[in-house]
Amino acid sequence: MTSKQLLFRNLRKNLKNYSLYVFALIFSSALYFSFVTLQYDPSMDVAEGSIKGAAAIRTASILLIAIVAIFLLYANNLFIKRRSKEIGLLQLVGMNKGMILRLLSAENFMLYFGSLLIGIFIGFSFSKLIILLLFKITGVEAIATLRFSTEALLQTLIVFCMIYLLIMLINHLFIKRHTILALFRVTSSTEEQIKKVTFLEMIMGIIGLLLIVIGYFISSKLFGGDFTTMTELFLAMVIILGSVIIGTYLFYKGSIRFIFHLIRKRKNGYLKVNEVVSLSSVMFRMKSNALLLTIITTISALAIGLLSLSYISYYSAEQTAKDYVAADFSFTDEAHASTFTETLNENGIEFEERSIEVIQVEVDLSQISDGDIEGELVEGTVLPVVSDTAIEHIDLSSSEVILSGYNDLLQNFIRLKDAGTLELNNQKFTYLGLEDEFIVSGYYTSGGLPVAIVDEKAFTKFLTEANPDIQKPSNTFYGIDIANKNQLEKANQIFNETLATSNGPHESQLNLSNNQKTNMGFMMFVVAFLGLTFLVTSGCILYFKQTGESEEEKPNYTVLRKLGFTQNDLLKGVQQKQLFNFGIPLLLGLFHSYFAVKSGWFLFGSELWTPMIVVMLLYTVLYSIFGLLSVNYYRKVIRDAL
Amino acid sequence: MKILEASKIYKSYGNKFNKQEVLKGVDLSIHQGEFISIMGPSGSGKTTLLNVLSSIDKLSNGSILINGQEMTKLKEKQLAEFRKAHLGFIFQEYNLLDTLTVKENILLPLSISKTSRTVANHKFKEVAEELGIFELQDKYPNELSGGQKQRTSAARAFIHEPRIIFADEPTGALDSKSASDLLNKLSQLNQKRQATILMVTHDPVAASYCSRVIFIKDGQIFTQLNKGTETRQAFFKDIMRTQGVLGGVQHDQ
Repeated sequence: MTSKQLLFRNLRKNLKNYSLYVFALIFSSALYFSFVTLQYDPSMDVAEGSIKGAAAIRTASILLIAIVAIFLLYANNLFIKRRSKEIGLLQLVGMNKGMILRLLSAENFMLYFGSLLIGIFIGFSFSKLIILLLFKITGVEAIATLRFSTEALLQTLIVFCMIYLLIMLINHLFIKRHTILALFRVTSSTEEQIKKVTFLEMIMGIIGLLLIVIGYFISSKLFGGDFTTMTELFLAMVIILGSVIIGTYLFYKGSIRFIFHLIRKRKNGYLKVNEVVSLSSVMFRMKSNALLLTIITTISALAIGLLSLSYISYYSAEQTAKDYVAADFSFTDEAHASTFTETLNENGIEFEERSIEVIQVEVDLSQISDGDIEGELVEGTVLPVVSDTAIEHIDLSSSEVILSGYNDLLQNFIRLKDAGTLELNNQKFTYLGLEDEFIVSGYYTSGGLPVAIVDEKAFTKFLTEANPDIQKPSNTFYGIDIANKNQLEKANQIFNETLATSNGPHESQLNLSNNQKTNMGFMMFVVAFLGLTFLVTSGCILYFKQTGESEEEKPNYTVLRKLGFTQNDLLKGVQQKQLFNFGIPLLLGLFHSYFAVKSGWFLFGSELWTPMIVVMLLYTVLYSIFGLLSVNYYRKVIRDAL
Repeated sequence: MKILEASKIYKSYGNKFNKQEVLKGVDLSIHQGEFISIMGPSGSGKTTLLNVLSSIDKLSNGSILINGQEMTKLKEKQLAEFRKAHLGFIFQEYNLLDTLTVKENILLPLSISKTSRTVANHKFKEVAEELGIFELQDKYPNELSGGQKQRTSAARAFIHEPRIIFADEPTGALDSKSASDLLNKLSQLNQKRQATILMVTHDPVAASYCSRVIFIKDGQIFTQLNKGTETRQAFFKDIMRTQGVLGGVQHDQ
């Protein structure tokens, strides 16, 4: 056989064995190419627009390279180990190391660049779809065109060539370093000796679980008022991150074995069919993959968390806009408001107009604020005050005060009690509680402080003694609500046209909401892109690990089938085993991201559950595909075992 | 009582154009409580015969009755069912699951047949003590010596009191001391429990522990030796003599 024949035969065999590797290669190159195409697409300028889109995309593409490179190197490492016997054999029959390396390089070259070309082709055909998707999410109206970008092609080729060279270098080192004898033993030496659970492992297991729980606990307290200075908050975050990550590592290193050991101990040697295949195997194998699994878990958690947060923000864009702009359109002076209303009248759009007088008053919150907060925030606080006549359903006596519309984010720095005494301009008022309604726009509330509502008499008194130093340029809020919400779009267009030149503090709720959707949609898009790449690559790595493991466990399946286990029995066990193998990292990742999101979600939006669950479900479904694929592989192995 | 009856069994591998007949019409019957060896040169079909009889491999032609039941007609699933209830196995490579402890390995056949836990524990104690491995119950296979592993494997074969135990070169990987230990235990269990054992071996010493030795050559039964009332030494000499006639690797061409 000539070396060319050998090459092609290997290629054919490998294509079948490593179909998922080829798939992952195609997938990641397609993803990368379409991403870079996006980067160079002129129509993207619109989407990038006001936000720091270009920087985000560049950062993302670097991260993408990192993920893809690490994945390809790792996969290559797995495969070369699996083929070490073959390499040893070729040396045994007289090939020198250089020849083998050339053979391997040529083989990889065809596999690799073949996939790359297919990937680029697919990436190109899908880039329009991706741009359309991006525009849809961000609400940007631009025409997506299919444009082949040579810059993108060049960048993709350069990046993947570098990765290829790196892989070849590693293969070269691998072959150089191993003697023939060692090559024949490589596969077996990676698995650790099976021993009893040691005391150290038990301790590690318990510490691991403890660290995770501590991390979760601190995260639930993070914005609960216990950490008020920036340094404390930062320190708490570092502690959470550290304890959860180390905890995760120890969890894989010790806890799993420890827990499974306890379960087995309780069975007293009498294991059920599926436990034989699942428990005992998972118990010994998870430990040797602890680092890999920790990385996968942490990054999964990161991806799910970020995706959830950006989706929460996107999802609650309308609510956030409502909180900040108290009417469909908000003005700070009458001149602009009337220009706008006139135009509305001309266009036959019905509307309701209201104006509320607002004065800024110095407030002492110290008696109703909860917990330990920095004094300066409480004492020097200036709150906007409105009269109770401006709000229909509220009527107060002269010494009462209600606060209304307090931003979630600020609530974490100054927490308020349900009742108490509030000093406004050095006069004591009885504080009756906090309402949800946002009465005036963010312009008056310094972005989210609550509005104090007092009796008309008290209000007029404040008006006379108002401190001019702390007043805003405008003391009247003009709100315009469009009666028929179908005409809102049109009204907004008029707003944008008439007030385009005057960049005063006039605001449109719709604009704000759309703006946030564009920003967060873009974020979401980029994070989703990275998340998907990571999901596919990590799923593939777990799958490769499992295919290797199934080959190693084949003799066990042979024994079990000889003993009288049916294929079905074994398959049930394998399913359970894969539930552990894929489920544990997934579940841990979900938990991590749940606690991360839970601790700070209110900084991003007003709705937690729906967006988070959608993201988590989606991730779980995509992830499970790899679990199912691996079960399918096991099915074949079990069938051939006897 | 006949426990196994095989008549005219044929087994061939390969396809139509390149066929290799390994068994060419073997007739064999085994009685309850017998301890039988199958001997023969390499490539004579010993292991194939064992695999076919134990339902691990399919026959090309012929019939096998175990306990009056026709094995060739059973489906894959029924065969698995049959194996778990009535057959026990000991292999040359021990074939213990290295992720399970000694006790877990031994209890495997009972857990398939869903025996109750107390009965299982009782049986385990009994068989493990007979084979002298009770103290090793919490150890993992790679902490054991070859002899201990093989006794574990034997305990696993005996624990569910199968009709027949098939042993493929059980002493093949053992040193002579461990081998004779194991064989002593096997023949003890054979007598005490009336267990039927069918063993493939090419070691005449191992074969001399048996009550009957069947020699096969080129896929056919060449001759049989019965121990009868002979001593083990005398029987060993008989076996050696027959083996000499049979020839190691020679081929009649």
